[in-house]
Amino acid sequence: MSLDSIIERYRNRAVADEPAWLKAMRDAAIADFERLGFPTSKEELWRFTNVTPLAEQRFEAASNGWKTDVRDFQGLETVRIAFVNGIFSAEHSHLEALPDGATIQSLTAVLSEDPVRLQGRLGELADAGSNAFVAANTALFADGAYIELAEGVVLDAPIHLLFMAGDGDEPFAVHTRNLIVGGKNSRATVVEHYIGAAGIAYWTNAVTEVFADQGAQLDHYKIQQESGRAYHFQTLEVSQQAGSRFTNHAVTFGSVLGRDDIRCNLGGEAVESVCNGLYLLTDGQHFDTHTFIDHEKPNCNSHELYKGILNKKAHAVFCGRIMVRPDAQKTDAVQSNKNLLLSRGAKVNSLPQLEIYADDVKCTHGATIGELSDESLFYLQTRGISRGRARSLLTYAFANEVLDAMPCAAVKDYVEELMLAWLQSEAEA
Amino acid sequence: MALLEIKDLHAGVEGIPILKGINLTIDPGEVHAVMGPNGSGKSTLSNVLAGHEAYKVTRGEILFGGKDLQELAAHERACAGLFLAFQYPVEIPGISNMYFLKAAVNAVREYRGEEPLDAMDFIELVEAKKSVMKIRDELLARAVNSGFSGGEKKRNEIFQMAMLEPTLGILDETDSGLDIDALKIVADGVNALRSPDRGFLVITHYQRLLDYIIPDHVHVMVHGRIVKSGGKELALELEDEGYASWNGEEGL
Ligand SMILES: Nc1ncnc2c1ncn2[C@@H]1O[C@H](COP(=O)(O)OP(=O)(O)OP(=O)(O)O)[C@@H](O)[C@H]1O
Ligand SMILES: [Mg+2]
Repeated sequence: MSLDSIIERYRNRAVADEPAWLKAMRDAAIADFERLGFPTSKEELWRFTNVTPLAEQRFEAASNGWKTDVRDFQGLETVRIAFVNGIFSAEHSHLEALPDGATIQSLTAVLSEDPVRLQGRLGELADAGSNAFVAANTALFADGAYIELAEGVVLDAPIHLLFMAGDGDEPFAVHTRNLIVGGKNSRATVVEHYIGAAGIAYWTNAVTEVFADQGAQLDHYKIQQESGRAYHFQTLEVSQQAGSRFTNHAVTFGSVLGRDDIRCNLGGEAVESVCNGLYLLTDGQHFDTHTFIDHEKPNCNSHELYKGILNKKAHAVFCGRIMVRPDAQKTDAVQSNKNLLLSRGAKVNSLPQLEIYADDVKCTHGATIGELSDESLFYLQTRGISRGRARSLLTYAFANEVLDAMPCAAVKDYVEELMLAWLQSEAEA
Repeated sequence: MALLEIKDLHAGVEGIPILKGINLTIDPGEVHAVMGPNGSGKSTLSNVLAGHEAYKVTRGEILFGGKDLQELAAHERACAGLFLAFQYPVEIPGISNMYFLKAAVNAVREYRGEEPLDAMDFIELVEAKKSVMKIRDELLARAVNSGFSGGEKKRNEIFQMAMLEPTLGILDETDSGLDIDALKIVADGVNALRSPDRGFLVITHYQRLLDYIIPDHVHVMVHGRIVKSGGKELALELEDEGYASWNGEEGL
């Protein structure tokens, strides 16, 4: 069983030459993990997502490598840090074109060269004490990306964080740990990209912590194209200071069972926070998104738009929690979750949760679950478009709102292509 | 050969009979106007012709260019040259008018075994057609009918018709809700398409449209039947007398 094997793996690991604070953090995390265990559906936050298949699986340590060619991700190749089965791959990385004040390195490199840079940041946001996935990750992470932008640094090219899962002793586990620090008034686009070789079984357990200092503008994307047999779990923790703007765009295609846990802490005034997502699920895929937008300070905006397209027996969960704390007057928070069911067997649980403790706020939320409209289909058909093609077009149209909100054209184009291919293969199936 | 031949057509929705024996023949080059009170079945007729699956034909026959129309799915009818300008055009958020038009034009071309238009040729075609209908570029970039004014939607319908160049155009109350300038634009658009091998079925409540699109025949539909047919002067009579002499015949 996974729990014991994880603890055992921790006890037997080759002890790296790590700073004492990190060793202490890892020891505490494995104790947390042992205490928490994998969540069960009796827990409120896990009511609709059953992780038993994951919890009962024994995972090997990740090894070996990626035998498939890295495709050319157009417009995303300028700045890239790549990992194969969780381990930094210099071969697939491009880190030459960086301006002064921008650091992009593997976490292990920073740990061996200059670990002080991580102290007080790593583990600062992601809480191992309350989340078993974060606990396992903290105890066992081997590597990940470290991005630091000094004050005022602007990076135009998107930073491509490429996580490839390839052949190894299946099923294997990859605990990836990323840390992104955007200094004052810095600006960058970060694309986390998870991609797995077809048909392989593994578990991605990623944690990403993001610090956006005053006035920083960070656009963060996740493109999830894990293999169809993979488990994908990620915790994204964001801390925003005054005047910062953070946008997140999570697009999910892959994994048989997965979950995004996203928390944005709006810890300064005049913060803008955008949290968007698109999940396209089919067959027996199950994907769960939990967002938590935490308004602490006055005059902040948050905007959430999650759209889901579900075919066959797919199941999606969206739980969007918005907290407006007493000090957060003049908060403007919008949340919307819209789902399109392409088949009778697909299912969605959508649960907005608003907790408002300030009185001068604007908060709206809405959730819809629907099917393609017959009137729209007929309209397209009367223009010569076949019913199958009309279905694809209208599905595409439904998702477009999320794509349109992506500021980075290269990512948008890439995702659009994936989406068209997905629609095509669903239409043919 | 007739362009459209409707023989003793009975049709309804969810088992409710609406059309109760329609006979109508449109020859190439002709414009037929259909008038009639609200609820008499005019839109039902256009939906049946366009192939809406909710409307079931229970009796009779429809021949389009001599072929049985009922054997064709809705999109095949469009590809074969039948066009319906909707009474209530549908809004499609998320697809731009241009993208939609290109998909439509190329679907029709593909059905006819023609090469799809490339981007350049397509834009040329749009440029050639948009001026008559006074379609601004801004409307082309916007999502199909989304947030269009009533008049813009109707002009967009006729613009689509001009792009697809059907052999039979069915206009379901395209004039409703149009101001006098927009009405002239719509009429100009239709008249520009009139040709010896193209026919039109124009559904309207008002004689006014027929001042600009002059019909060869006018039919009065009441309670799912054509109760009178005549020349263009029939529309003028109706304008004066209304439908009182037919209404009540079956009781509403
Ligand atoms: N989908 C439907 N479901 C139920 N009833 C319908 C449906 N479509 C049409 N009907 C009924 O059939 C009758 C004819 O409707 P239709 O829309 O064809 O009338 P119309 O002549 O176009 O009227 P108008 O001038 O108001 O547009 C009406 O009584 C209408 O309620
Ligand atoms: Mg009508």
